[in-house]
Amino acid sequence: MTTLHPEHAHEQEGEIEIRHHFDDELDEIRRGLVQMGSLVVENTRRAGEVAVDNRLDLVDAVRAGDEPVNALYRTLEQRTFEILALQQPVASDLRFLVAATRILYEMERSGDLAVNIANRVAAHDGFPQLPEMRSLLERLVSESAQVFAAAVVAIANLDPEIGINAEASDDVVDDITERFFGTIHAHSAELGLDSAVELSHVGRFLERIADHGVNISQNVTYVMTGTFPDEDNERPVD
Amino acid sequence: MVSRMDDAMTTSADLVPGAEDLDLDAMVAPTGDEADDTHPIIINVENLNVFYGDFHAVKDVSLPIRQNEITALIGPSGCGKSTVLRCFNRMNDLVESARVDGTVEYHGVDLYSKKVDPVEVRRHVGMVFQKPNPFPKSIYDNIAFGPRIAGYADNMDDLVEETLHRAALWEEVKDKLNESAYALSGGQQQRLCIARAIATSPDVLLMDEPASALDPIATLRIEELMYELKKDYSIVIVTHNMQQAARVSDRTAFFSIELGETGQRTGRLVEFDHTTRIFTNPSEQETEDYITGRFG
Repeated sequence: MTTLHPEHAHEQEGEIEIRHHFDDELDEIRRGLVQMGSLVVENTRRAGEVAVDNRLDLVDAVRAGDEPVNALYRTLEQRTFEILALQQPVASDLRFLVAATRILYEMERSGDLAVNIANRVAAHDGFPQLPEMRSLLERLVSESAQVFAAAVVAIANLDPEIGINAEASDDVVDDITERFFGTIHAHSAELGLDSAVELSHVGRFLERIADHGVNISQNVTYVMTGTFPDEDNERPVD
Repeated sequence: MVSRMDDAMTTSADLVPGAEDLDLDAMVAPTGDEADDTHPIIINVENLNVFYGDFHAVKDVSLPIRQNEITALIGPSGCGKSTVLRCFNRMNDLVESARVDGTVEYHGVDLYSKKVDPVEVRRHVGMVFQKPNPFPKSIYDNIAFGPRIAGYADNMDDLVEETLHRAALWEEVKDKLNESAYALSGGQQQRLCIARAIATSPDVLLMDEPASALDPIATLRIEELMYELKKDYSIVIVTHNMQQAARVSDRTAFFSIELGETGQRTGRLVEFDHTTRIFTNPSEQETEDYITGRFG
């Protein structure tokens, strides 16, 4: 089991494990975040299908898919708030709970972005399909969902490394996004202004989902190490 | 983090009339190497070892206590934190079998030098104990007792009033200064003891579990008083209440117990740092386990 306090190094044999109940409460939050994140990944991929293949039949499923995400958001935020109030957490426990509130926000926003993607496609009854754009959009969906999925894995395994390497995978997403925008621009006449604008939005939404994923895995790094991965780089050297 | 505030050109005063721009640097306490160590060291402990007979109670403690700061000593029972505290005003001298090795310097003077008078030390380094222990005298005389012995020659009434003000007790006792100190509540008695301790103008106050016999409100009053007192004094507090250490102290020293081969339990200092650091991201796993309640 992955928990914040996996081994009690100082525990002597026969001693009662203290704060076992509190450990369970923290792990309940962690498992809730994994569940919520997995739903967001699933819904992002589904929204991607809507956009890539004009699957208007899946739009309702995307909208419905965000409901459990919102429900988890409310429940987990409430639980986190209660634990902060009642348990006076410090050190890694405190970092975990503060990070959990940030991660909840990032996940909830990402869920909304997936719905936004489906809504844009639905509002236009689908977009004109150009092979080059379709292939870039497909890659963008896949890479963004992958960055977000890696963040969920980071929470599941409490793995600080994923956050440390997250900027690199985000660069891949940013690169595809730029190329996608370039292609939209190149074909703007064929697409028409409305579709060009809306497709740009879809691209931006996917790129934002990846950004949220990066923030989430960096928050896991913060929980486990006490610092954000890019903190040292951002600090002025003196 | 992906930045959402790329442009910080707009100040809050531009956005909201009357809003002041906060000094963000001043809001975040320095930690670790960036620490602002401008407060001079008032008591410096180097390689302190304390023995009671054959029993090695405290091992190799080095620790600076800084002026106008509150330093908290925390750790499980038997970790030696009270023993270390008692070295700061030579209270261990009162234990016959006690032996102290290493140096404890107060303003650069070795407190354990043969030339130093322990009674004089205790006038500069006052102490407050776990249980309020006022003298069986009037409130007034509890304060006046120490200064009288020390030959205080100025107006005693003024000194008593000023001292009680400093201990945040004046308003509650000004009409009953001649009543017995025992008529006061536990929290008031403890503040009277703090007043008594500062009446002789020490510059360090040692507090050994000063609030553990008090209810939560009286406890918060003592903590509030400590905030006020650190403007004029340097305070070292031993507490079992980790939240209290977190609330009041500037720096925290975490002590633990080392088990010797023969099962001897010797106290040692595990980690000493800014309190914000200790309670958000301690360096030692042992500290983390203790303050998060996983061990201890």
